Amino acid sequence: MSSSSPGIEVDDLQRSFKDVLAVDGISFAIEPGEIFGFLGPNGAGKSTTVLMLTTLLPPSGGRASVAGFDVSRQGAEVRRHIGAALQEAALDPLLTGREHMRLQAALQALPKATRGARADELLERVGLTDAADRRVGGYSGGMKRRLDLALALVHEPEILFLDEPTTGLDPQSRADLWDEVSRLAREQGVTVFLTTQYLEEADQLADRIAIINQGKIVAEGTPDALKGEIGRPSLEVVPAVAADRDRLAAVLEEFGPPTAAPPGAAAVRLEAGADGLAQVVRRLDAESIGLETFDLHAPTLDDVFLAKTGERMSGDDGVAVAGAAA
Amino acid sequence: MREFTSTARGVAWRSIHLTVTNPAFLLPAVIFPLIFYIAFAGGLSSVGNVPGFEYPAGYDTFQFGFVLLQASAFGGVFSGFGIAADFERGFARRYFLAAAHREAILVGYWLGALGRATLTAGLLTIVALVTGMRPLSSPLQGVELALLAALVCTAAMLFACGVAMRLKTVQAGPAMQMPVFLALFLAPVFVPLNLVAGWVHSVASVNPITALMDGARDLLAGEHVAAGLVYGTAAAMVAVFGIWALRGLRSAERTGA
Repeated sequence: MSSSSPGIEVDDLQRSFKDVLAVDGISFAIEPGEIFGFLGPNGAGKSTTVLMLTTLLPPSGGRASVAGFDVSRQGAEVRRHIGAALQEAALDPLLTGREHMRLQAALQALPKATRGARADELLERVGLTDAADRRVGGYSGGMKRRLDLALALVHEPEILFLDEPTTGLDPQSRADLWDEVSRLAREQGVTVFLTTQYLEEADQLADRIAIINQGKIVAEGTPDALKGEIGRPSLEVVPAVAADRDRLAAVLEEFGPPTAAPPGAAAVRLEAGADGLAQVVRRLDAESIGLETFDLHAPTLDDVFLAKTGERMSGDDGVAVAGAAA
Repeated sequence: MREFTSTARGVAWRSIHLTVTNPAFLLPAVIFPLIFYIAFAGGLSSVGNVPGFEYPAGYDTFQFGFVLLQASAFGGVFSGFGIAADFERGFARRYFLAAAHREAILVGYWLGALGRATLTAGLLTIVALVTGMRPLSSPLQGVELALLAALVCTAAMLFACGVAMRLKTVQAGPAMQMPVFLALFLAPVFVPLNLVAGWVHSVASVNPITALMDGARDLLAGEHVAAGLVYGTAAAMVAVFGIWALRGLRSAERTGA
């Protein structure tokens, strides 16, 4: 593996399915050795982008190069340099973990002499040595994900595509996978293209992030830079008496523009930052508005998403929901 | 080239490994041809006494020729089922992602089909010989018969593969099986062509499978074979369905694995 090879370059990439434009002219560049988070809700175009970059789906327009090779014209070269663990692990329930490794090594034309040792090494690295000779049909979701990751690494790819690798995993399995992905990038210089609908995952893992919504990239940068664009924290308050909600909202708006809030609550982006909190409390007290909850939120990627799209990425299902953005 | 052969061998290994390690896959592939042979050769043996039926190696051998080609053809079709299942379950994606040369995937499926057909044909031959079949062919003709069976398996596999790669679902099973079934049974299955009457005779006369079946039976009887017609027909079928399968592969690439 080498960090000197070109990473990924995408220029005005498009993919349509009949009348639906799933990916609408996106452009970005990924440096070698970088972990690039591709963030967006379900149906945003993340997986379609991955399919095009891994040569599983031809683009409808634009161009993309992976490891220096054009995905449309040099598919074989691209495939030699990439590994991929896609959204639904392509595993055969009737084969064992070790048999999968053997098959993958053959598909990637690994020299026969190195196949056994490579399989053992990777199975150990993903913690599947004890389960290696069991059929995959009996594996848990986390074990399947880990095996899929090991399979993607058989031929020591320069670029690794991970399409929502932690969806459905328990917190421990998720953390383990994050550690492994980080290690690959830091220690072996593997370029990682990671799609996720988990904001925390992108925030923790990615050196840079692109946010895609409805087929278009709406923001790109480091997590800190993107959050820095938002800058100020938000304040979300629930009144003790529901009827006070409108009065509460009016008072809060004296301190900043309103942002999306759950039903019964009001929220604003504080113009003065956290320093303005004391003033807010005094004003609410002066208006005799009782409070049930009073939460200050530092800017998150969800705030970035909200600011860029007018929607929030909701919870675990990753579905974008309309919000009352300012 | 090393990449190509390694990928093809990997795909073939999985096909054969799954067949021999799973009774659910192995038994139907083996038992159906045996039942066909026993039912046709045993149950219909008196057909061999019909006036005008002149086949020197006996009715068992006559039927063996049909069942061998049928088992070879269905062995190819079953590969198509496997390919369709791989697409439906997403496993084809692993192949498409890993194979630098995707034509090697086709070759791998083909080798897998040949491996399974060899297993079935071998067992069928042993059972037929043990139960009294007495072919009159020379050893060379035995090899030529095996080659013919392999070509039939290849043509059927390529046809089914083309269907599977276009439709990508196991629900396409009838579209793979029915044409092969009809082509086989619209050839002279139970008696020679000269004893077949009516519209079936008309259809069988132009059915290319008839030439293959006659060739197989001639080889089993140790008689002269119209090699150009028999192997030419088989090779033409392989060529046509080979293009069909390759275009199916390109279709699968265009629409996404």
